[in-house]
Amino acid sequence: MDSASTPAAAVPPYAIELVGITKRFGTFTANDGIDLRVRRGSIHAIIGENGAGKTTLMNVLFGLLQPDEGEIRVDGKPVVMADPSVAIAQGLGMVHQHFKLVPSLSVAENVFLGMEIRTRGLIDHKKQEDRTRELSRRFGLAVDPTERVGLLSVGIEQRIEILKVLVRGARTVILDEPTAVLTPQESRELFATLRGFANDGMTVIFISHHLEEVIEVSDTVTVLRRGKAVATRPTSELSKSEMVRLMVDREVSFARPARPATQGATVLSVRDLWARDDRRHPALRDVSFDVRAGEIVGIAGVAGNGQTELAEVIAGLRPASHGAATLGARDILALSPASIRNAGLAHVPGDRMVRGVDGNASIASNLVMGRQFRAPWRKGWLLDWKAADVEATRMIERFDIRARGPADTVKRLSGGNIQKVVLAREFTNDAPFLLIDQPTRGVDIGAQEAIHDEIMRQREKGIAILLISVQLDELMKLADRILVMFNGRLMGSVDGEEADEDQIGLMMAGVAQSQVEAAA
Amino acid sequence: MSTRMRAFAGQLIAVLFALALGSVVILLVDESPIRVFTTLLRGAFGDINRVAGTLLQTTPILISGIAACIALRGGMFNVGVEGQLFLGGFAAALVGFAFALPPGLHVLVALVAAILAGAAWIAIPAWFRVRFNTNEVVSTILSNYVAVLLTSYFTIFLFKRPGGWSETPPILSSAYLPELFSFSRLNWGLVIGLILAFAAAWYFRNTPGGYAVSMTGSAPKFAEYGGVDVKKRGFWVLIVSGAVGGLAGGVETLGVHHRFMEGFAPGFGFDGLIAALLANGSPIATIATALFFGALRSGSLLLETDTNASREIITVIQALIILSVSAQVLLRRRGDAQAGERRWKF
Repeated sequence: MDSASTPAAAVPPYAIELVGITKRFGTFTANDGIDLRVRRGSIHAIIGENGAGKTTLMNVLFGLLQPDEGEIRVDGKPVVMADPSVAIAQGLGMVHQHFKLVPSLSVAENVFLGMEIRTRGLIDHKKQEDRTRELSRRFGLAVDPTERVGLLSVGIEQRIEILKVLVRGARTVILDEPTAVLTPQESRELFATLRGFANDGMTVIFISHHLEEVIEVSDTVTVLRRGKAVATRPTSELSKSEMVRLMVDREVSFARPARPATQGATVLSVRDLWARDDRRHPALRDVSFDVRAGEIVGIAGVAGNGQTELAEVIAGLRPASHGAATLGARDILALSPASIRNAGLAHVPGDRMVRGVDGNASIASNLVMGRQFRAPWRKGWLLDWKAADVEATRMIERFDIRARGPADTVKRLSGGNIQKVVLAREFTNDAPFLLIDQPTRGVDIGAQEAIHDEIMRQREKGIAILLISVQLDELMKLADRILVMFNGRLMGSVDGEEADEDQIGLMMAGVAQSQVEAAA
Repeated sequence: MSTRMRAFAGQLIAVLFALALGSVVILLVDESPIRVFTTLLRGAFGDINRVAGTLLQTTPILISGIAACIALRGGMFNVGVEGQLFLGGFAAALVGFAFALPPGLHVLVALVAAILAGAAWIAIPAWFRVRFNTNEVVSTILSNYVAVLLTSYFTIFLFKRPGGWSETPPILSSAYLPELFSFSRLNWGLVIGLILAFAAAWYFRNTPGGYAVSMTGSAPKFAEYGGVDVKKRGFWVLIVSGAVGGLAGGVETLGVHHRFMEGFAPGFGFDGLIAALLANGSPIATIATALFFGALRSGSLLLETDTNASREIITVIQALIILSVSAQVLLRRRGDAQAGERRWKF
């Protein structure tokens, strides 16, 4: 245990080794026997589609989740990561996707939060600020230690998160999609910092969707697909298209159902649409498309490229900054959510637990939402709870919701069954337009099939459907046309019958359709 | 209804915990907690007169409590019931002494005046909330001070009755709320409160509007997505809450004091809010919690004559109840939040 006397050459070359890590959530295997070896002093990128198991693997490594099988070694020694404090003690530091900073405190106070430097029992602000300044200079993380965090930009907040990790003595830094919130300039500065870490003998693991960045900054790449590590290679040996091929599941697990051509008139029309996200950054840039009756238009893209904002704007839950959208003959951009529903929208929201249901209420009560002023739910001045119960019982049967009855509390149900409650409500509104965001997120395979069948049935009824999903295979199975979104823009449009995963994958990574087709 | 049972058990434990802590305080002033509590019980329910006295104290707490419940169900806090109660009380007194109307009608007009005064008073914070997203907790608290001082000003400088006291002239007997029994000042106000409690519960349960309000309170984003105009609903929920707060004051004026005076109804509005919180925003449960606080108030009268404990011990116990109930609610919320996170963390 006397590390000081150990010669450097005897230290094993891997800073971190994960051996045979398996992590299951119920019947879902998020990590399936993953081996990952990270060389000391290197930058190791982990790439994969959403749901491939990247974040789960990092949470296992950092002690936030306990693996069902497998072993973690730090500097060659096995370690049980019982909780994050063990990981921190082992020299690991994690920079999360969502920052956890206190806006009213200064930069230095945030950096030392929970481990304040004390002099005679009082917080020594000067020492904390000096130490923050010293670290920020050493690694090129320019910050003013005395400034209030609430006044700073996202890029600087991330530097503070990195400083927090460094102050806690991290020798291995894990970053979960660090560039998702950064401007290109900020990303470049971050990469310089990460390079500096590696040159200093530290180790960096970072998760990313952006393949250019991976190529630019990493030494080694591990590709995860459906919970398995399918390849680990030196970055220089892989091209971008090879990475995409490894990332995207080639075996389409769902057969594309036969479909009669039933397309009719245009129902939803979106033109030159712009909108901002919650941080007031542009989230939609010049988006235009149509959805016709009896057509499923899919929106593909890596999560966080504007799909959520698109759905919210169409549903009237987020203002557009520019552009036009019409549903039927009505301009919907100025309308309230209720008026848009009256104009013909039914909406399966992506954030099921927050938007889609009231988890504490009963199934019957959840099925009333939006229809409380209509028969059969309304009778005269009153809500008819008997009719609502009858309706709910019918829906439970028709949509195969596994529950004890209409009075069952929604949050007690499984994810798939909660989603069926939402579908049962939205699919029975006789709306000519269906907006469906992530229909099968967190839903098991059996329920996925049922939900897909239900969506196809809606299509056959001549309903116009906009289907947003981060699961490419889902879109390739269901959509008549797939639009690819990247950084708030539509990169291209692909016919569902002729869709090619590699091409869509490249567009999802930000390559323009013309280039993709020129390369093909 | 297991969540409801769990909430009930939680509140009960919180109250018992507060009473235990209160006992420690009583021990610190060298009194026996058992003697204090039995004296309280005797003071509140010892004979028919005392029961009537307790119900008399319960009435304004109950009506204020329903006012607070209405806002709570819509996911908001009306901490300004006290102020609405003062203004409602004053408005009722003004109609009561300044106009001569037939019996019946006079009561009705005075109560409507009280309701309008309460509604008008909360309209300012409610409008600020809709227009500028101002936190209604802060603005309604602050409006209390203005209301209390404003009515004092009216009473002392504009409508003071000749003589020594800072009070308005008495209202005409045609504006009296009829008493229920000959032996007590207990009046129809209690009946109004009970009807109101059941009416509010019924509204939330059985009407489309009540459903929209409840959903706005329990899952605002879900309600917004479902087409509920959350802002507009919120505004009107606060207005109605304030109107009921005003009614509480009107009932107190027309039923008990028959005039408005300084220090007219100290703390009833706040007791009502606590009663509503303890009842988890359920108007029916508020009947029980209002009775509990009414009993504490009326029982405490006997405390000073029969024990060495001061009446202020009641304030201490109330404060302890507030603390333990809020702690309990926060703990429960945090548990829910963690369970939610567990479900969705991948």
